[in-house]
Amino acid sequence: MIEEVVMRQDIALDDFLPIFISSSLVLVFGGFYVGIYTAVKVKLLKKWTMPIAYIFWMLTAYCLYLMGSLMHVGEFTAKALVVAAIGLFLLPHAVYFMQHQVHEENEH
Amino acid sequence: MANNHLTGIGSESKQLATWYFTFAAILFGAQLLFGLVAAIQYVMPGFLFELLDFSVARMLHINALVVWMVFAMFGSVYWLLPDETGIETIGIKIGKLLYWVFVAAIVVVVLVYLFVQVGPADETSIWFIHEGREYIEAPRWADFGIVVVALGFVANLFLTGTAGNRSGIVTVLMADMIAFAGLYLAGMFFTDNISVDQYWWWWVIHLWVEATWEVYVGAIAAYGLITMIGAHRKVVEMWLWIEVAMLFGSGILGIGHHYFWIGTPEYWWEIGALFSALEPLPLVAMFIHVLYDWGKTQGAQDATGVEVSVINNKPAFTWFVLNAFGNFLGAGIWGFFHTLPQVNLYTHGTQFTSAHGHLAFFGAYATILIGMMYIAVQGTNGIKVMKHTKSSLWAVSMICGGVMGMTVALTVAGYVQVLVSRAQMGATWAGYFDGQSGMWFAQAMDWRLVMGAVTFLGFLFLAKDLLSTGKNPVHER
Repeated sequence: MIEEVVMRQDIALDDFLPIFISSSLVLVFGGFYVGIYTAVKVKLLKKWTMPIAYIFWMLTAYCLYLMGSLMHVGEFTAKALVVAAIGLFLLPHAVYFMQHQVHEENEH
Repeated sequence: MANNHLTGIGSESKQLATWYFTFAAILFGAQLLFGLVAAIQYVMPGFLFELLDFSVARMLHINALVVWMVFAMFGSVYWLLPDETGIETIGIKIGKLLYWVFVAAIVVVVLVYLFVQVGPADETSIWFIHEGREYIEAPRWADFGIVVVALGFVANLFLTGTAGNRSGIVTVLMADMIAFAGLYLAGMFFTDNISVDQYWWWWVIHLWVEATWEVYVGAIAAYGLITMIGAHRKVVEMWLWIEVAMLFGSGILGIGHHYFWIGTPEYWWEIGALFSALEPLPLVAMFIHVLYDWGKTQGAQDATGVEVSVINNKPAFTWFVLNAFGNFLGAGIWGFFHTLPQVNLYTHGTQFTSAHGHLAFFGAYATILIGMMYIAVQGTNGIKVMKHTKSSLWAVSMICGGVMGMTVALTVAGYVQVLVSRAQMGATWAGYFDGQSGMWFAQAMDWRLVMGAVTFLGFLFLAKDLLSTGKNPVHER
């Protein structure tokens, strides 16, 4: 059942460092994205900085793509990574919306 | 209901909590000490040879880690129960008795680990020496003792939660602690098939640290935010439920990343990849949560025109913020970069795992439990606003710097192993040794030892501060 083995291609020796760095940057950039988004929403940062948050999300998505490509991930894992990227994009919006609604209900 | 956490004096539950915290701190020190011994043995393999071998030092290091955290977790629950429920913990006398049973069992187990070390590798070893399962090596007689203590603890929690005001935090803890105690049973029975044995063992380890313990941290963080900065309970508790859903949603099936190479069916590769990719999301969300509540509460205070900090316990809050960040960094980043099967094939069992383990256990759990110890010190000493002292600052800087340094050193060592032992030499026997004999690996281990020593010095400052800060006149009373 060789054709069913997931590890179809070895990872090139020179690709390990970019893989580790890009996968770390996924969450570092992701952290900046949600951090800046949240800071703008709670007025710790000015509104004009919001596009920077979205730039960080784009960098996150690019790093996920790069990491997946270098790892030669299969079709299923590629879809899982896309779901994770979309999840990270939606997460602060959903959280802020819910937190804001609860604050509104309790403070007004 | 506002928390009345400043009234630690006179509550038997809070007194019991301080006992738990005290023994947890002692075990924390032991964990670091045996970790140092094991780190020295990487650099000087003959150190304490045949007296306290690496296998024994490592066993004590990682078992002490788990046990001190369990002690501090129980202590934290006993501390917050009167605040949350509005009544004294029911069955506190039994709770106190079980505490002493627990302490006695742990002392005997540690003495056996130290002085007996190995058994005849039959049922006698399993019952009286140790079970040989990493992290939960307690012999079976102690397993039964732990189950009795855990059941007593859960009974106290349930009786108090149902009789008093059952807040969202208490409700989450009640459900979580049932799972926490119940999962321990999966690591108690023995099978002679190593794949089956590992399969169940991971139920305890993974479902503890990446599901029930994370939910526990969410509940404690919620309590801390209400207690220390006066965050709005409804907001905090609403968020807690979302965290519970996200953590259990990604964490339970995230167990798949432990089933890649132990002989379990191949569908675990897909399951592990999908849920492991989602696992960082709740950690990111918890990070936002703390930032959001802090920003919102401080913003509301600033809007009144009086610019004072809303934090009433600076050392504890520092550790709580470090928890939000450390959880994201240690469990999230250091976990994510070797969680997919394509790369885990190369990183599995290298020092990468150790790097992740050090930063994740520290960032996700040690930080918040130390924070709870500071909350207890504040409460038992009737302090209104607790400030940093020189010792608390040295402790936080040296412990965090030390653990981060160890993590970086172990990551470098793991990278060498990935390239040499796995990628170049194909995970062969010769590759295993070549990977560990190179200059980069050896120097990384030297630095790990240095940073381990820094962490231990930080612990000494922490112990000094926890013992003395209660009487320090710098705090507002």
